[in-house]
Amino acid sequence: MKRITLICAAGMSTSLLVTKMNAAAEKSGILVKIRAIPESEILKYADDTDILLLGPQVGYTLTKIKTLYEPKGIKVAVINSVDYGMMNGEKVLKMALELK
Amino acid sequence: MKMISSKTLEKIQAGMGVFANNKYIKSVSNAMILIMTPIIVGSIFTLLTNLPIKAWTDFISKTGLVDLIKIPVSFTSNITALLAAFLIAYSLAERFNKDGLMSGVLGLICFLIVTPTGQVKINDKMISYIPFDWIGPKGLFVAILIGLLTARIYVFFIEKGFIIKMPEGVPPNVARSFNTLIPGFVTVILALFIAIIFKFSPYGSLNQAVFTCIQTPLQGLTGSYISLLIINLAIGILWFFGIHGTVIVFNGIMGPLLLSMDMQNQAAYQAGQALPNIVGMEFFRAYVFMSGTGLTIGLALLMAFFAKSKQYKILGRLVIPTSIFNINEPITFGTPIVLNPVMLIPYLAAPILSSTIAYAVTAIGLVPRINGVQLPWPLPIGISGVLLGSWKIAVLQFFMVFVSLAVYYIPFRYMDRKAYELEKAGSSYATSDSCDVSAR
Repeated sequence: MKRITLICAAGMSTSLLVTKMNAAAEKSGILVKIRAIPESEILKYADDTDILLLGPQVGYTLTKIKTLYEPKGIKVAVINSVDYGMMNGEKVLKMALELK
Repeated sequence: MKMISSKTLEKIQAGMGVFANNKYIKSVSNAMILIMTPIIVGSIFTLLTNLPIKAWTDFISKTGLVDLIKIPVSFTSNITALLAAFLIAYSLAERFNKDGLMSGVLGLICFLIVTPTGQVKINDKMISYIPFDWIGPKGLFVAILIGLLTARIYVFFIEKGFIIKMPEGVPPNVARSFNTLIPGFVTVILALFIAIIFKFSPYGSLNQAVFTCIQTPLQGLTGSYISLLIINLAIGILWFFGIHGTVIVFNGIMGPLLLSMDMQNQAAYQAGQALPNIVGMEFFRAYVFMSGTGLTIGLALLMAFFAKSKQYKILGRLVIPTSIFNINEPITFGTPIVLNPVMLIPYLAAPILSSTIAYAVTAIGLVPRINGVQLPWPLPIGISGVLLGSWKIAVLQFFMVFVSLAVYYIPFRYMDRKAYELEKAGSSYATSDSCDVSAR
């Protein structure tokens, strides 16, 4: 089972997206564990994560987070801002699972 | 309409993010977030003692209940500096991947060492006490300084290995307290040294010196109308580049300053005196961040009820419920407002216009000043206005919704027409690559 962690400044709007992604996963029968956390708690959850998605408002930390976590085998990406805005759970989930 | 390449954007964002990601600033803001919980609890008790219901206030003052209700206020809002000293020292050590607990304890102790205590004689016995004066909002700046300094020294000693090493076989908890002995002595001695130096200074204490020379002048600057404009502009421009401007601007120094101004108002409110400040953290919550940064509630309403394009109709309906609870990232990224020149002007103008109106009507006394009570930030407008002191504040908040509608009307029409034409041409979500800043 893939474990996806979403990060934004306070973990508020991302948690909304998590709900939508979970619904999309359930609909197509994909087993995933998705959670939203504030950026400050990233260290705590790093060991329990396969895919790390950054909300566009913290996208500027991408390079730093990539160098920190990619060596551990975690895939890192920023969520497309319009998909984020439209809370398009299906598209974001698909993007996450297709990450290489 | 790609305006800025994603590489350039990342550079801009990284540059702006440096400030927010600074370890010291992050520790302060992290501590402020943690302090909000006790302060909100205390604020609710402040409200209880000041409910505008005469039967209730008569009842609690006659029965003496009022003094009991004030106890939680004393040990939440009135000990903010004490909490901050611990939490800041804790957070900073954690950011250096060191054990935060001992660092926090040392931060608290050092803060108390520099803080002047008092002595009274009761029944021929001398009793020492810690006055609330300096462990509340007035001492916040010293708490920040001492908390950061203590934690930094603590981390330095652990990193350099200047610790007493226990032989193997000693239980880890015992070893831990020995490990922190040297940094413990050093920080406490240093704090004592600072306390002694300032005792013989004209100010009498570090707290008084910092309050007179730093905190008061800074608050004077922060509370002015000009600074209101600058804060609004800075937040708006940061968000325009897709960065969480609110967090960045209120991180570090701005947050504690605005918070102490609210606390001053709250203390005056509780004592039934005139409120000293127009601006404070809650001023922003009440008039500027309602429905989220940029006062986008008008835009959300326009989208939900007047959009021709399917894209904006869906977005509007998605955003109205979250906007009620002051969350508006969907509209910021979904419209998009980020990097969209059409939206830049209304996005900056709406909060500036709103703060200007609010500042003006408060200054002339048409609407009362905000009582400084700290509310949970997702509280909807109207309710928050009443709790912040008056139904008049609530009415003014609803008036701002019309301001927002007016400001966003023309740009909305333009964006909607464009989206509608694209949809008619057959491609839905046609704008999704117009601002593809994140797919790299």
